[in-house]
Formats: sequence, structure tokens, C-alpha cells
Amino acid sequence: MFEPEDETVERVIQHLRRPVAIDAGLDARVMREIAQASSPRRRAWPRWSAGAAAAAAAAAVLGALVVARPWARNATSRADTLQFVLVAPQAASVALVGDFNDWDPARSPMQTAHGIWAKALRLAPGRYRYAFLVNGVEWRADPGAPAAKDDEFGTPSSVVTVGGRGS
Amino acid sequence: MILAALLLVTQVAAQDPRLERLDPDTRSAVAAIADSAHGVGLPVEPIIQRALEGATKGASGARIVAAVRRLAVDLGTARSALGTSASAPELEAAVAALRAGATPQVLAHLRDVRRPPLTMALSVLADLVASGVPADSAAAAVLALAPKARDADLVEFRRAVERDIALGAPPGAATSVRLNTGAFTTDAGSPGSPGTPPARPRRP
Repeated sequence: MFEPEDETVERVIQHLRRPVAIDAGLDARVMREIAQASSPRRRAWPRWSAGAAAAAAAAAVLGALVVARPWARNATSRADTLQFVLVAPQAASVALVGDFNDWDPARSPMQTAHGIWAKALRLAPGRYRYAFLVNGVEWRADPGAPAAKDDEFGTPSSVVTVGGRGS
Repeated sequence: MILAALLLVTQVAAQDPRLERLDPDTRSAVAAIADSAHGVGLPVEPIIQRALEGATKGASGARIVAAVRRLAVDLGTARSALGTSASAPELEAAVAALRAGATPQVLAHLRDVRRPPLTMALSVLADLVASGVPADSAAAAVLALAPKARDADLVEFRRAVERDIALGAPPGAATSVRLNTGAFTTDAGSPGSPGTPPARPRRP
């Protein structure tokens, strides 16, 4: 679907999508640095009695439970953030519309950088139909997502599924 | 008072301000379908969204009503297959699977072999068919993977099949080959493992 002049942009996208190899020892080195950097502070902490320390620990656990409320886990807590991208160098505006925003073009306008339009949305588990509205008139499906085969309105749409476990 | 409460419950869609984007006749018809669905315990939101999609895409009122009515019927079929405990996302995904060619028996079998939620498994089934995989092959593959595969494994399976198809493999053969590799049924080391926080937003 890309025009000839889009090839450079497409190459850039392909490059950016390559997995980044991270040294397996990075985490260990970072944690070691943090431990060394914070060690002087530890000496400045006051000496607490065992009872005060236990009370503080209990308060911290209680506070964490109240804030996190693990017993109130629901669909929203399993929400996933998705990045929607469309390459459209010639477009003046692109809106992301779908089941997640009542198909309202005004709700999720996409931002552009050199013709690459992007929008990140946090979605609860479910299967969503969506499409890109280019310049307010042209409907485009997402070339990087499955197509919605049951399109009954004569314009292309895509689907994205946010699962409830391990997606 | 009870009657008033019942009327309030059964006219949920008629009060939805989002439907004001539809012309009066279409709004009335869509609200009636949505209220009927609500009355038998089906989710209303997918029906509202399908009507809004039609309105935004400039479809005629008749086309919107036909699409919404068909969706309500399919949601009912999906619930019959998956049972009354099925969630709204599961029912929506089941509708996509049914429209892709999966039978209600396949949906019921999937419910028996995989613990909920079934949303991703059903969606992968529908998406495989959309990629050109025959419905019976897609159903067989998903049913084979369903007992052990994580959602992330199913998504990766779908992507692998789609890549093979894009490279020229026949869709049915691509599905069989990927299924037989057995690389999508393990729990450890998959991209969505609980201990692996996502580094950045993923793509659809």
C-alpha cells in the first residue's frame, strides 16, 4: 500500500521493529551500581527498635494492600497498552476509530512524525474492530493487523484482541 | 414501582445518548434490538458499537439495522454454544469465529478443553480463517493447542502462520507445519510470561 517515496520510511520502520539485544548481565550490573550508590545513605538511617520496625513493616504491608487492592482485580487491571501505527506521509490528519472509542473520530486523533502516525491506547480484554480515518474521508485498515472479514458497511476494518492471560 | 423498575431495565438502549448519532427511525430500531438482547441477557455494548460504526461510516439506516439484528442473533448462537457464563468479550470473539465458519460444536468443544477466558483462542481461530486458512483446519489447530497454550502462544502461532502464508505457503499447509513443530504449547519462556514485563506497547 506504500508509495515509492515511502520506501525510506518503511526501511526505518523495519529497522525500528527489530528486537533489541540486551546484554544478559545488564540487570546485575545495574543493581550492583544501585547498591553501591545507595550504601552511604543506609548508614544515615536511625537505629530502630525491633518493635518499631515490625510496626512500620506491618503498616507498609497494610498500606500496599489498600492501594493495590488485589482482591478487587477486574478486567481493567488486565488491560494492555497497544501502539497503533500507520504510515501515511501524504495525510494531513489520521484518526483512530473503533469499538474502543464509540467510532468517534474526534476521540483518538493520531500524532505524526515524518509521516508515521501513531497512537497508544490502553484497552481492557476483548476483541475490538477498528480502522484509520485518513483526512476525514478515507477509511484504511491496519496493514499490520488481521482484517475484519465480517465488514458489513463496505469499508475495510481490522481487529485486535486483548487477552485475559499472558497476551 | 416494580413495573417502573422493569421498564427502566428493559429500555437501557433507548436512553443511550450515543445513539443520537443515528436518525430517529434507525435509532428506534437499534434501541429495540438492543433492549431485546438485554432482556435475554445478551451484552448490549457490541450492538451499540456496531450501530455507531455504521453511523460513522455513513451506512444507510437499513444497513445498520440489518447488521445489528444479525449481530444480536449471532450473539445468541454464541451464548448457546459457550453457555450462560460466557463473558461479553468471549461472546464477541465467538461471533467472529462463527462467522469465519466455525461450528457451534467447535465452540462448545473449545469451552470443554480450555479454561476461560476463551477470547483469544476464539479470535485466533477467526483471524486464521481471515488469513485464508480453511475453517476446519483453523478449528482443528486451535483445538489442538487450546488445552496447554497461553494466549501469547496462540498469538505467536497465528503470526507464524501469517508469515508463512505471506512467503507463499498454502494456508492449510502452513497451519499444519506450524502446529506440528510443537513450539507453541510450552509455558516457559513465552513472550507473555508473567515475569516478563512488556518493555513497550505492543502492536496489534
